[in-house]
Amino acid sequence: MRDQTAALRLYRGLLWLYPAEFRDHFAGEMCRTLADCLRQSPDPVAVLWLYLGVLIDAPKERYHMIRQDVVYALRTMRREKLSSLVAVVVLALGIGSTATVFTLVNGLLLKPLPYPEQDRIVYVEEVSREISGAVAYPNYRDFQDRNRTLEDIAMFGSGLATLRGDMEAERVPAGAGTEALCRILGLQPLLGRTFTAEECRLDGPAAVLLGEDLWRRRYGGDAGIVGKAIGIGSDQVRVVGVMPSGFHFPDAAELWRPLQLNPKFNTRMDHGLEGIARVRRGAAVEQAQDDLRGIMRQIIQEHPTENYGQTVNVSPYRVRDTKKVKPVLFTLMGAVGFVLLIACANITNLLLVKVTARTREIAVRGALGASRARLVRQFMVESVLLGLAGAAGGVVLAWAAIPGLLRLVPQRLPMWIQFTPDARVLGFMTAITAGTAILAGAIPAWLASRLNLVETLKEGGRGSTTGGAKAWFRSGLVVAEVAMSVLLLAGAGLMVETFWKLNRMQAGFRTENLTTLQTAAPSNRYPNGPAGTELVRGIRKELTALPGVTSVAAASGVPLLDWWGRSFTAEGAPLLGVKDAPMINHTLVTPGYFRTLGIPILEGRDFNESDGKNPLLTIVDEGLAKRYWPHESAVGKRVRYGPPENSEPWHTIVGVVGSARNQSLRDLKRNSVYLPLGEFEWASVAYLVRSTDGLADPAKAVRARLMAVDRNVAISRVLSMKDVVTQSIWRERFFATIFGFFAVLALLLALVGLYGVMAYTVSRRTHEMGIRMALGATAGEIRGMVLAHSGRMVLAGLAAGVVAAVFLTRLLRTQLFEVSPGDPKTLGAVAGLLAVAAIAASYIPARKATRVDPMTALREE
Amino acid sequence: MPPKDDSVEGLLPLHKDTFHILVALADHDRHGYSIMQDIAARTDGQIRLRPSSLYSAIHRMLEDGLIEELDERPCDGNDDDRRRYYRLTPFGRKIAVAEARRLERLLADARATGLVPKRL
Repeated sequence: MRDQTAALRLYRGLLWLYPAEFRDHFAGEMCRTLADCLRQSPDPVAVLWLYLGVLIDAPKERYHMIRQDVVYALRTMRREKLSSLVAVVVLALGIGSTATVFTLVNGLLLKPLPYPEQDRIVYVEEVSREISGAVAYPNYRDFQDRNRTLEDIAMFGSGLATLRGDMEAERVPAGAGTEALCRILGLQPLLGRTFTAEECRLDGPAAVLLGEDLWRRRYGGDAGIVGKAIGIGSDQVRVVGVMPSGFHFPDAAELWRPLQLNPKFNTRMDHGLEGIARVRRGAAVEQAQDDLRGIMRQIIQEHPTENYGQTVNVSPYRVRDTKKVKPVLFTLMGAVGFVLLIACANITNLLLVKVTARTREIAVRGALGASRARLVRQFMVESVLLGLAGAAGGVVLAWAAIPGLLRLVPQRLPMWIQFTPDARVLGFMTAITAGTAILAGAIPAWLASRLNLVETLKEGGRGSTTGGAKAWFRSGLVVAEVAMSVLLLAGAGLMVETFWKLNRMQAGFRTENLTTLQTAAPSNRYPNGPAGTELVRGIRKELTALPGVTSVAAASGVPLLDWWGRSFTAEGAPLLGVKDAPMINHTLVTPGYFRTLGIPILEGRDFNESDGKNPLLTIVDEGLAKRYWPHESAVGKRVRYGPPENSEPWHTIVGVVGSARNQSLRDLKRNSVYLPLGEFEWASVAYLVRSTDGLADPAKAVRARLMAVDRNVAISRVLSMKDVVTQSIWRERFFATIFGFFAVLALLLALVGLYGVMAYTVSRRTHEMGIRMALGATAGEIRGMVLAHSGRMVLAGLAAGVVAAVFLTRLLRTQLFEVSPGDPKTLGAVAGLLAVAAIAASYIPARKATRVDPMTALREE
Repeated sequence: MPPKDDSVEGLLPLHKDTFHILVALADHDRHGYSIMQDIAARTDGQIRLRPSSLYSAIHRMLEDGLIEELDERPCDGNDDDRRRYYRLTPFGRKIAVAEARRLERLLADARATGLVPKRL
């Protein structure tokens, strides 16, 4: 007997595997039947089979029940086609936007780099007032010799290389690195080998590694290329290997040269190269940073005059490329989170309407024995199905949106950044879909399960007119939606304003009808001196002959694209150490540069053709002149460039020109000074071409002219100055575009929500409106009543949204330009826009309310 | 719950457990254990339902309207008034007959082709 009690208890325990509804109904019966079976046949094998049966049949029963719920939900969704479609579209927009931003976050911040044991690869950079993202060569040597935490450290740089040979000269992105680079990245060549230590030594043998794509494109995939010499710049260089396709390090490099540096010419003041290292197994990135910081402190003590007082950062390699976009991505994640919440609120409202509309049906089902759990589950199933359909739509949206977004990025992204979806994106999608479905469905499901069956059936299923708590909840959701969209609109407004301000920022030069290009001439044919000067003059003459061209100038670089910072000392001003000396932006220019760019000459004169041979003249900008000689003319004064301790020769100022934003539109970081082109050897020269209406197909026109001068001059980066400006603020444009899109989406979703609730309220109050009209209320009064109802919700939402915006837009501060967070003008405009849109969205239901025929409304009673 | 689909064909062919339960209820209202015993007896112990599969079948048959639960207990002496009794509905009877006919036709076809001897 005791055995039987234990056996029954075990069986009863197993019955918990069944759905609650089934268990409630049949558990007792099943136990009694089992007891009968045990009494009749105590055969242990047969008994075991009875128990195992539960393990087989219970999951089947669960599956059966879920299938029934799905079929039921699909049937109701088919019946309510329009509202289901709206729900799916709203969810697709919400989930799709979130998935898009997450895919970006994943590609930039989460996906592992395509290198073996990539978490040990770190980026090494010196950081000070003036520099970040670079390491001086002698410091690198000290890090290499003295560190205790690194397996390897290397330096690398990037630039352009000019390929020459039988074919037309071509400029390709190139990388250079010290010997350890390939070892740190853990990469093997496709053909040949990587660089030897010998090749990375000063005056070591010249060598080049080709990328697979370049090797196939330019050299026809020649299997015997290793050991052959190719023309690069003015040298013949032996190919030592071919790297596999897809390897582009850093950035977009297609060929690599060994870095052969002379420590004598690469001082601790030069920061033109970057550092990469592989941390020893078992050592943390932070330990490596402490180690190198310690070494840096020693270096500063040993060489006090040669350092800016900088420190070293050691961080995971991806930081090099994602530092600037990280805060932007987090802000976007926040913005898109609000969009998803608004979408959720919309779905909740929609489902609430369904609960009310189906009150009678739910009551009947409840009366027929459907348990509370079952009713909740049915609603949840419907919400999950909507979520799944929305997620499917969202995937399609994200798939379409990402290439579109990448088109807004003008730079070639580093090769390791890939936005292909992976398990992480899939997991995230599943999580947000489930989260959305639960968040949106839980409250309607709960309310459905709490309906008072008897009351509802008595009332004929109409429910009470406004449904007390439910109506409050619905209004609350609309208020929240309005508040969140105000917040997003405010953020987007600030970003758009930032972009506009930057776009219209006076750069200090005229950007329209100005074409820029970069050239490189082989240095063996054009050594320093007259030949180079002649080439520049020849090219300028050829370009001036192009139709419509009014002036052409050459310079060491293009504004906003190239800059060269040096320390500055004015004669008579207190002599400062290198740590404190001001930095200026240094450009070498030909005569006519200021006229071509539209920079006014305020005092003195432009350079003339003979100044090139007389190197000790300079022109400074207005800002610098005012700072050092506020009460007298700067012309005739003398200044010196380079580290103050170096005592470079004095230059005499011959002219003062308007200030130009040569480095960044955002701020006038450094004052600019100009020297005659020809003072220094300058491997690549930029040309600036001013024309009356802009050049038609400038790349082709310019190339043809240059080929006429010398086929060996390679051309790269033919861009209009307008494009240069746009590219320089692409981050702001990207951010404003995407933020603006989310804000508009949020606004639309909030309006859909508002419209839905108002339309529903009006339809539920038909009877009341009928009576009011029968009692003499005018159409205007009825309309006013409806509009006042929606007006209250919108006002509450606006107030909450504006308060939230004042606080939360502060997070955007670093992204903004000449507009402050919580800017009253922006907030006012946003609130006005939302109020107008909200009135429009509630006007349609309001008008419908006035069309109620009192007789029909009353007859329905 | 009322039958979702009145058409008899929609439910045919029946699962063998379902058909056996219908047959067991054809002449008597029974509780679960009695159904199991009846089936076992009729099939010489060949078919022994487990309580779990029996009640899954009963659950489905209730949903489809083939059987119904009785509110009051039949008085047949050894009754336990906590037990639930089930009865065939007219629709269930119709389905059972249709299934029997289907099986009969199947057997007739098998006989006509000589697959099965005319008399066992």
